[in-house]
Amino acid sequence: MAWKEVRSALPAGNYYYSGNEAAAEGAIAAGCRYYAGYPITPSSEIMEWIAVRFREVGGVFIQMEDEIASLSSVIGASWAGAKAMTATSGPGFSLMQEGIGYAAMTETPIVIVDIQRAGPATGQATRVGGGDIMQAKWGSQGDYPVIAISPWSVQEMYDQTINAFNLAERYRVPVILLAEQAVGHLRERMNVVEKIAIFNRRKEKGAAPFGAGDDGVPPMPAFGEGEKLLVTGSSHDDYGLRKVADPLVQARLTARLHNKIVNNREEIIQHEDYYAEDADVIVIAYGFTARSSLFAVEAMRREGKRVGMIRLKTIWPFADSLIRDVGSRAKKIFVPEMNRGQVAGEVMKYTCCDIIPYNQTDGEVIHPNTIMGELRRLL
Amino acid sequence: MAGDMEEYLRPGVRTPFCPGCADRILVRLILRAIAELKIDIDRMLFVSGIGCAAWIPSPHFNADTLHTLHGRAIAFATGAKLFNPELITMVVSGDGDLAAIGGNHLIHAARRNTDLTVICVNNMVYGMTGGQVSPATPMGIFTSTTVEGNRERPFDLCKLVAAAGAEYVARYSVSQPDTLVSSIKRGLETPGFSFIEVISPCHIQFGRRNRLDTAAETLRFFAGKCLMKDEAEGLSPEELRDKIITGEFSNGRNQAD
Amino acid sequence: MGEIKQIRLCGLGGQGIVLGGTILGYAGINDGKWVAGSSSYGAEARGSACRSEVIISDEPIIFPHVTRPDILIAMSQEAYDKYIKDMGRDGETVIYDEQMVCTKEISGLRQLGFPAGSVATKELENKLVANMVILGIVAEVTRIVSRNALLSAIEKNVPERFRALNLRAAELGLALGRAQK
Ligand SMILES: Cc1ncc(C[n+]2csc(CCOP(=O)(O)OP(=O)(O)O)c2C)c(N)n1
Ligand code: SF4
Ligand SMILES: [Mg+2]
Repeated sequence: MAWKEVRSALPAGNYYYSGNEAAAEGAIAAGCRYYAGYPITPSSEIMEWIAVRFREVGGVFIQMEDEIASLSSVIGASWAGAKAMTATSGPGFSLMQEGIGYAAMTETPIVIVDIQRAGPATGQATRVGGGDIMQAKWGSQGDYPVIAISPWSVQEMYDQTINAFNLAERYRVPVILLAEQAVGHLRERMNVVEKIAIFNRRKEKGAAPFGAGDDGVPPMPAFGEGEKLLVTGSSHDDYGLRKVADPLVQARLTARLHNKIVNNREEIIQHEDYYAEDADVIVIAYGFTARSSLFAVEAMRREGKRVGMIRLKTIWPFADSLIRDVGSRAKKIFVPEMNRGQVAGEVMKYTCCDIIPYNQTDGEVIHPNTIMGELRRLL
Repeated sequence: MAGDMEEYLRPGVRTPFCPGCADRILVRLILRAIAELKIDIDRMLFVSGIGCAAWIPSPHFNADTLHTLHGRAIAFATGAKLFNPELITMVVSGDGDLAAIGGNHLIHAARRNTDLTVICVNNMVYGMTGGQVSPATPMGIFTSTTVEGNRERPFDLCKLVAAAGAEYVARYSVSQPDTLVSSIKRGLETPGFSFIEVISPCHIQFGRRNRLDTAAETLRFFAGKCLMKDEAEGLSPEELRDKIITGEFSNGRNQAD
Repeated sequence: MGEIKQIRLCGLGGQGIVLGGTILGYAGINDGKWVAGSSSYGAEARGSACRSEVIISDEPIIFPHVTRPDILIAMSQEAYDKYIKDMGRDGETVIYDEQMVCTKEISGLRQLGFPAGSVATKELENKLVANMVILGIVAEVTRIVSRNALLSAIEKNVPERFRALNLRAAELGLALGRAQK
């Protein structure tokens, strides 16, 4: 296997980092050595941190002319053999959508960190939002796979950025760290362990770079290795040759792209349960809101109320079977979000139990007291 | 093997170009330049955008090729080249791709003087999508979106890119094969950003709407407009109207003339 | 349950409030605590009620924002007026720069004024390090972070050429705090 243990880039110990700094360090720990970006609040600290640290660890950093160019160059670098990343926020993430579809189609491992701010449009640039959930899944044309992760702490900005690179390399897919401004700018204790597990893309000389492989994920060569690669965003056969009118090629390719993620979702999807076993009302939360929710749930448990929480760490692929299972046990499901119900809508797809969305889009985080108030009304 | 042009063509590939398309000629001329320089083609990376011209390297060239998004070839190439400077990186794309949707990447790569050789295949029209006007379409020309003749001024792409800071800038036509091949060689040998605008006529989308019925006629029409830079010297603006001036416009940042 | 302390620093943009919060949090880490911090940024950080909040706890912190400060550190009148409203329970402390802030009487609330700004100006000829003086005072008076943790946090977070100055400012603050007792 292509897993290996490596020393962390930072000495083991506790740090006091912001979420953005942690994401940058997580990338470096995972082996990211190419970064291209364009300034945007509230994500710019990632780029600035990388600009300093790449000089120490030996990476290539460039500030491009826009987000389209940033993501394009990241894809180019990935095919040149790099673990490559960019970071942005909503407006830049919108500009990147065509490139995300391209990365999915060409099965290019890349990581995009989206520090979500309050939209739509320029919205409130310094304020928190969580409105990019659907954009992360459906922002580019066609059906294509992505993995999106929602970190809730500075520790997870670090750990999940490492995980994002591992997943990108393992499944040859764009992975999006869908963080919120409130996590990106939070400072917390962050622990670095001595050794971490890293997955590096599989290579196999002469193998079809777009063939099915054993598990739907083909090995990936790099430019300059004499493989005479054909990489294209047009529909293509196992060797990358354009086949733009063959229904069989198109059907096989789109199905494989989808299935390589869906069939491996047990391995990809992560979640956490809190007091969910015997709860009548279950909160389904992710990102920063899960911290408010857990605070509220614990306070109410101390009052003897039967409330629980499930935290989605992975947003895409969606935890469909988990939701089915939760829906069969709980009386009510409460879904607080910093958007107009983007995950609540997904939850409704998989269970017909009573689902109560709570949507706050005022540029502020959802306070635990708000959640407690809502839960009291539901009990 | 280095130097063998036939080896540089990907075996078993059927060309997608219309019969008579000048891009077919350009496929050969680019490879001839590489062959004459005896570059091991496995050290090269060809990046293209979307359009007819973007098909020149992909799939024809038997090398690493990256066929990207419309307008973004230079940005993709930047990432690959910066991460692996060993890759001799050439971008081949159309006038619409490089100068309209991708115009910003073009001037910024020139400003950075990124070590790329960019071949801008200028047929003065959007060939692939059915002959719409491009930012390189001359005034008065009929296209599917300029039904009364183009009223907008075209870019002088060489001036634009030279002003943005490119190291090497030249314009030649496929009807000047030998000078064009030498120019591509100069571009490849020049460290930094090289830009070669190649006049490569499209008889299907450009020619027919402008009373040029065959490939040969279209080619002749453009060939007749091309003047070498020194021939153009001393001519009046009136005499230069409609002419295409070919030659080198910058070779080495400080020698631009 | 272990101890959990919520601290809010506030003042004018440019007084080093955000850096003060970062250093306080960093000192908490040095003491082996769990810490969460968040600050104003953008236009807010340059404004008249710039704020930096730190939670220092013996246990992991679930909700990382300050819900009710145990300690308010006020470096300007406007910021004091804005945030004093959240204070008033027994055991809570306000520490303020007496040159900058006139306090309101609030029964039961411990409010301690110190000449942080004037000490910085007089002893160090640099008003900008009043934030470090205040941190020294806070460490000494409240014991939320230890002296060594604070000094090493300053060393880590302040650029080399200002390091000695900032460390001296913190030492002056520690002395002021001791004198208070
Ligand atoms: C984002 C986007 N917009 C539009 C298109 C459609 N499109 C494909 S090729 C092309 C124009 C190509 O013109 P040019 O670059 O001059 O190449 P030519 O075909 O003339 O060689 C356009 C507009 C696209 N593929 N992607
Ligand atoms: S449309 Fe024009 S440019 Fe495209 S292949 Fe045909 S002749 Fe060539
Ligand atoms: Mg064209």
